[in-house]
Amino acid sequence: MKHLATGMAAILALAGSFGTARADGETIAVFTKNQTNPYFQAVRVGTETAGKALKAKIIQYVPTKPDSIPEQLSQVEDVIVKKPDAVVFIPVDYKALVPAVAKIDGAKIPIVNITDRIASGNVVAYVGADDYNIGLETGRYLLKAMGGKGNVIILEGVKGSLTNIDRVRGFTDALKEFPNVKLVAQQPANYQRLQALQVMENLMQSHSQIDGVLAANDPMAVGAIEALDGANRKAMVVGINGSKEAVDLIKSGKLLASGDFNGFIQGCLGTEIAVRHLRKEKTPKEIILKPVVIQKSNYQPYETPVEQRQCPKLADVAK
Amino acid sequence: MSTAETAAAPRRFALPPELAQMAYRLLAAAIVCVALSFLSDAFFTANNLLNILRQTALLFLLASGLTLVILTAGLDLSVGANVALSACLAATVIKSTGYASLGFVVGLGCGALIGFINGILVTALRIPSFIATYGMLWILSGITYYYMAGETIHGFPPAFRQLGSGYLFGIPMPVYIMVLFLLLGSWFAQRTVWGQQVYAIGANPVAARLSGVPVERRLVLVYTFSGAMAGLASLIILARINSAQGDIGEELTLPAIAAVLIGGTSLFGGFGSVAGTLIGALILTLVLNGMNLLQVNASWQPLVTGVIVILAVWIDSRTRKLTE
Repeated sequence: MKHLATGMAAILALAGSFGTARADGETIAVFTKNQTNPYFQAVRVGTETAGKALKAKIIQYVPTKPDSIPEQLSQVEDVIVKKPDAVVFIPVDYKALVPAVAKIDGAKIPIVNITDRIASGNVVAYVGADDYNIGLETGRYLLKAMGGKGNVIILEGVKGSLTNIDRVRGFTDALKEFPNVKLVAQQPANYQRLQALQVMENLMQSHSQIDGVLAANDPMAVGAIEALDGANRKAMVVGINGSKEAVDLIKSGKLLASGDFNGFIQGCLGTEIAVRHLRKEKTPKEIILKPVVIQKSNYQPYETPVEQRQCPKLADVAK
Repeated sequence: MSTAETAAAPRRFALPPELAQMAYRLLAAAIVCVALSFLSDAFFTANNLLNILRQTALLFLLASGLTLVILTAGLDLSVGANVALSACLAATVIKSTGYASLGFVVGLGCGALIGFINGILVTALRIPSFIATYGMLWILSGITYYYMAGETIHGFPPAFRQLGSGYLFGIPMPVYIMVLFLLLGSWFAQRTVWGQQVYAIGANPVAARLSGVPVERRLVLVYTFSGAMAGLASLIILARINSAQGDIGEELTLPAIAAVLIGGTSLFGGFGSVAGTLIGALILTLVLNGMNLLQVNASWQPLVTGVIVILAVWIDSRTRKLTE
């Protein structure tokens, strides 16, 4: 009886696999920038989740030295030799990796570009959220919460990086809409929490009244919060990335908001587009996710760890 | 007091060269302070000075361990990565057990153990310290990134946080720790046989060995000490920032080395002091503080730091020629 059951199941399974025109078991190579930033971890979990759902094999490539251009270039060369079916690609640098994209394309491997848009090259699709709009929306949220008046500080990330340029541009454009808010300082802390703490400590010396802090990522927002706490001062702080840490701090009321980049969903959609493209299905050329400002009233769904989240349906997002 | 003109004549009021050099260095720090006081109203306030000292403390702790290593003509490039791993392990222990003291022991122990391994690599395996500690940097980063997997650990008990953000008689805790290690380090280097042996190894390892200095054991000691200081610095960072991330403190390696060099310790070994390193750390911290207060544009900040470092070391070598 038991044998019969397994036999039946096997036949059914076979029938199932012949019954559809879809293949599975494609290999997708995923490139992210580093192992330290929670954002890229969320991207990787997204690619794995989508890979599981679509029965594709996912291989991760991460530079051992964070954000290393030469290392990502050499990883691309390795991948071309191994010939995966498709590549989901976040360039460490949007200009420096253009030749790498050309190489992958030259090897006839389709590329889906996510998060940081490559400066030029032939890609199947681009999935991203736009840094400028996230900066703008997060900035607007803070300035509205401040009642449209007071003093603010901008903490910048790595000077010259694309993400920083766009986020800070978003912040400054939001400031233009609130003429009664004064930008009293704009200083770099290189996306680092310890540097942000020290820079904030220094800035508090020369500015007795700080009402709001616009930090270009969550770790810097955390640094600013700790500095304010240490000096027994109060200011509203916003960050960007929607990291788990930020969600916890929003819940406890220490952080006002965090602009969400949704790495998990980008990883999901990038992988799904790559797989569906390989299966000769129609896929969108571009998906720009709408910025979400995570705050007191909408943080609950973000409390679910990324490992337990479900990928959204491509059809629902790409309308 | 002592100048080139009086060098030929019998010196009166002449300071020993080491002290004269220290006076010059203090003068350099003082000039920076005076300049900043004129440029910014916020600079010369009790609050800001305490703030600067607290920031200096962190850099000094890392740099004080490095000073001994550099005195032996070695280098420890793994201090930043050591801070990251020690901080993440200590954070895990504190979070999971609730015992800050246990986390403290783990952080310090992890740092010291890494330093000890560096010492073994340099002595038993005879790998040049630059290479050994550079390799160690990669190994440690690899372990930390794998272990943390892009996650952060947030929120420690208030008692533990006192270590980094607490005050005693109005002075921040880290400042006391800094003074303690300034005294300990200076006493060890200047007043003990072992300390003098460290200088001897840096000046001439062959001569030191021939005159009976146990070179290997002293080297293992200084690398272990450097690692332990990284462990201690990691705990203060944790207590200050209330969170840990895989790359925390990594950016401190080069400033710590710079603090040692600005403080007049020679990369070739055998010459320098822990007190000099304190002034080096102070100058670097003053520069960052000043740039923040004066709102120096973000793009120019690295350039300014670079110029100051080169200038400070150059002035140091010029004044050394004067004092000798």
